Amino acid sequence: MALANRETKIESQTASAGTSKRPPGLPIITLTLGTLSFIGMMVSIWAIFLYAPTDAIQGQPQRIFYFHVPIAWIAMLASGVLAVVSVVYLWKKDERWDYAARAAAELGAVFTTLALITGSIWGRTTWGTWWTWDPKLTATLVLWFIYIGYLMLRNYMGRTPASARAAAVLGIISFVDIPIIYEAVSWWRGLHPSAQVGVAGALPPEVVLTLMISLSTFTLLFAFLMIQLYNLQKMQTQAQRLRAIVE
Amino acid sequence: MTYLVAAYAIAWAGLFAYLAVIALRLRGVRTELAAVEELVREKTEKRDS
Repeated sequence: MALANRETKIESQTASAGTSKRPPGLPIITLTLGTLSFIGMMVSIWAIFLYAPTDAIQGQPQRIFYFHVPIAWIAMLASGVLAVVSVVYLWKKDERWDYAARAAAELGAVFTTLALITGSIWGRTTWGTWWTWDPKLTATLVLWFIYIGYLMLRNYMGRTPASARAAAVLGIISFVDIPIIYEAVSWWRGLHPSAQVGVAGALPPEVVLTLMISLSTFTLLFAFLMIQLYNLQKMQTQAQRLRAIVE
Repeated sequence: MTYLVAAYAIAWAGLFAYLAVIALRLRGVRTELAAVEELVREKTEKRDS
C-alpha cells in the first residue's frame, strides 16, 4: 500500500512537473514587461544624457543620480516585497510565497550592491571620499548585510519548511531598516542629501521627469526579474523533489 | 566625466551580467528538470512492465 501511494506520488509529481515540457515560449506578461523595460531603458538613457540639464554645481557626475536613485528605490522595494510575502507565507504556509521571498531577497542583494557602488562613485565626486559612515549609507550597508545573511541562511538550510520559516522571520525583521534608511537624513545630520522630489521648486521639471522615467523603468525591470526568479525557484524545487524520488 | 562613465559602466555591466546569469540558471534548471522527468518516466515504465 505504501509503495502504491509512493508511485502515485511519483506520477502526480511527474504530471505537475510536466508543465515544463510545454514548447518554450514567453508568457505575454513576461514579454510585455521585458519589452517595456527595454524601451524604458532606451528612453531613460536618452533623457539622462540628452534631455536633462547639466547641474550647475556638480556638473556631469550629477547624472549618476538618475540611475543611483532608482537602483536604491528597487533595493528598498525588494525589502518591502520580501516582508509582505514573508508575512503571507507564515500565514498561508504556501510555498509559492516562499519562492517570491527568495526572488525578492536575491534582487534586493543585487540592487543594494549596485546602489552602494554607484553611491560610492557619486560620493567620491561630491564629497571627495568613496565611503563615509553617514547614517543613510550605514543603514544601507546594514540592509546589504541582511540580504546576504538571508541568502546564506537559505543556502545553508536548504529547501525545507524550517528554512522557509526562519527566512520569513528574517525577511520581516529586515523591513525595520527601510524607514531608517528613508528617514536617516531627517533623524540625524549627515552628508547624504535629503529627498528633493515633491518639494516645490527644488528641482527643474526636466530633472523630475527624467527621474520618473528612470524610476518607472527600474520598477518594470524589477517586476520582470521577479517573475524570472520566481519561475527559477519553482523549477529548482520541482527538480529537487523529483531527484529525491528517483534516488 | 570619468566617474560618470565608471558609474554607468558598472551599473550596466552589473545588470547585463546578472541578466545573463539568470538566463543561464533558467536554462540549466530546465535541462535538469527534463533529465529528472525522464528518469522518473523510465522508472514508472519499468514498474508498469
